[in-house]
Amino acid sequence: MSEQVHNRPAVVRAERGVSRRQLAEAVGAHYQTIGHIERGRYNPGLDPALRIAGYFALPVEALFSLEPFRPLTDEIYGRKTS
Amino acid sequence: MTTTRLNRYDRAMVRIMNDRRAQPLYATAVRRRLVVATHLALTLAIGGLIAHSCLGAGNPAWALVLVVALLLPWTVATGAINGATRGLLELRERALDERQSAERAQVRARAHLATTLLLAATAVGLLTVGAVSGDAPTAYAAPVLVTVLAVHWLMPLWVAGLTAQDEPAEDDGLEA
Repeated sequence: MSEQVHNRPAVVRAERGVSRRQLAEAVGAHYQTIGHIERGRYNPGLDPALRIAGYFALPVEALFSLEPFRPLTDEIYGRKTS
Repeated sequence: MTTTRLNRYDRAMVRIMNDRRAQPLYATAVRRRLVVATHLALTLAIGGLIAHSCLGAGNPAWALVLVVALLLPWTVATGAINGATRGLLELRERALDERQSAERAQVRARAHLATTLLLAATAVGLLTVGAVSGDAPTAYAAPVLVTVLAVHWLMPLWVAGLTAQDEPAEDDGLEA
């Protein structure tokens, strides 16, 4: 139950110019909770994870994963990680 | 928090508990510890004065005047701790999100453990003193009962104040 969940809402949020407070308000969470999730201090349950994914119109696995994410630029441009 | 509608009271409480005007009082862990220590000291002083006023010879009125005077800083300290925890213990369950609910449960569990240990130590102490002086348990019963009530009531607040975390850094250019 204590397995680390990797996440990248912070990256997507920055890319789309959404503040923590705006995201928190949209998904019905406290803005500190968004900060805790982004810093890996709190793993969200299914409901908030789906709400965050829904807000960004992305599949939930694009934002949360049990495996570390590759950098977005590598995913887009196909550079292989060593 | 999103699946239940908040009423006017809930919204007002959320607004009050997230009011950041007193933030300098609890911006860092050191300051939060200081506020909790102050609150603890004021609680002890107020409890002691009430016990002295009620149980002491002559029921001194000055003690009650001092209690009223100490209630103001006590209230400010209580507000500062509630501000530091964003109303973790004051808001209704429906006004908390998933993480806050989990945090509240954790705070209550820790407070329960701390209170249990404190009560056990008090009981052992009282019984030990009672073995030496037979009148001690009777004489100390009332102050101990008042202390137990105060600790039971306020321990979650102290634990919440001590475990509250720093505000996440603002993300530059995005915070409106």
